[in-house]
Amino acid sequence: MFYRWHVGTVAWVLHRLSGALIVFYLVLHIWVMSFLQKGPESFNRVMHLLENPLFKLLEIGLLGVVIYHSLNGIRLVILDLGYGMAHQKKMFWAVVVVGIVIFVLGAVPLYPF
Amino acid sequence: MEITFKILRFDPDKNKKPYYRKYTVKVEPGMTVLDGLNEIKWRQDGTLAYRRSCRSAICGSCAMTINGVNRLACNSQILALKRKTVVVEPLRRFPIIKDLIVDMDPFFEKMSIIKPYLITHSPAGLRERLQSPEERKLLDEPVTCILCGACTSSCPSYWYNKNYLGPASLFKAYRFVFDSRDEGTEERLRIISDRDGLWRCHSIFNCVEACPKSLNPTYAIAELKKKIVTTKL
Ligand code: HEM
Ligand code: SF4
Ligand code: FES
Repeated sequence: MFYRWHVGTVAWVLHRLSGALIVFYLVLHIWVMSFLQKGPESFNRVMHLLENPLFKLLEIGLLGVVIYHSLNGIRLVILDLGYGMAHQKKMFWAVVVVGIVIFVLGAVPLYPF
Repeated sequence: MEITFKILRFDPDKNKKPYYRKYTVKVEPGMTVLDGLNEIKWRQDGTLAYRRSCRSAICGSCAMTINGVNRLACNSQILALKRKTVVVEPLRRFPIIKDLIVDMDPFFEKMSIIKPYLITHSPAGLRERLQSPEERKLLDEPVTCILCGACTSSCPSYWYNKNYLGPASLFKAYRFVFDSRDEGTEERLRIISDRDGLWRCHSIFNCVEACPKSLNPTYAIAELKKKIVTTKL
């Protein structure tokens, strides 16, 4: 029982995934920041751990996730206001293109190698 | 041209689970999926069950999933699908009665929840309640709906929550909320802003892709969302 993935279906699934990932990151972020309470020593140790290139790469991934969620979020708000209903697919591709441009601009300075 | 029909079959008296069965049909240009099903039922296997009546896309009986998209069988030419195999399944998320026939009761129950009739409180005059052509124009899309169910059965929000009113029912709500003669707006807006109402719409647009009458239920739902946030309930 396969049902075709339309453009709008893909946009929705990605939006939900990205929303959940950002919430997951937010929790992680608050947890990491909570080391501040334990004094400068332990906070510095955690920060040092995060200098690992692996985390830089994850950060680049997060950038992509946030960019997609924000841009598609704007697409959804525009559609909810009743504009561009006949152009929702084009608007998705605009999200992809603009997203890739912002992603590359943001990812280059973050790239650890 | 020989085309294989792969049809989801289910007879609750005989089968535990639905299963696929293949048929080969000689297809002429212009033949619709409904013609193909007729060919199978009349010449190959009389036990195949499906609904149809008008064979001209107006009664809304023959909505089914064809190659993974909801369409009307009578409105879909086989060769235009451009596949050697045509997969035909009943509308998903409605209980199967037999083969391609599903129980549409849940669909029509949701239609009646939104009170699909003109509500008036002001006394009736001596003449009809008139509309201007502009006021009438707002209703062009929703009154074209043939209640086929293709949209509701294509909606991921409905797949995961069968209590969700669904695009067709909300489209019908739009038809009355935006009817200049109707006086039941508040009542109806309360009903559709219920937890299983229009906030379950995530503007996925599967309903727009599925609608055989090229209507846009998502637009209607967005207009209703706006109406609700700008109306004091
Ligand atoms: C510019 C920033 C953002 C915009 C424009 C935006 C927009 C949206 C919109 C319009 C929705 C509703 C989608 C729907 O109805 O399906 C949504 C859902 C959601 N957002 Fe955001 N959002 C933004 C930032 C964030 C952030 C920072 C987080 C996490 C902390 C987040 C987490 C979520 C989650 C979990 C959902 C629910 C997903 C779903 O229902 O499919 N969003 N966002
Ligand atoms: S809106 Fe379109 S798909 Fe939905 S019931 Fe009406 S005609 Fe069928
Ligand atoms: S048979 Fe009436 S809509 Fe297809």
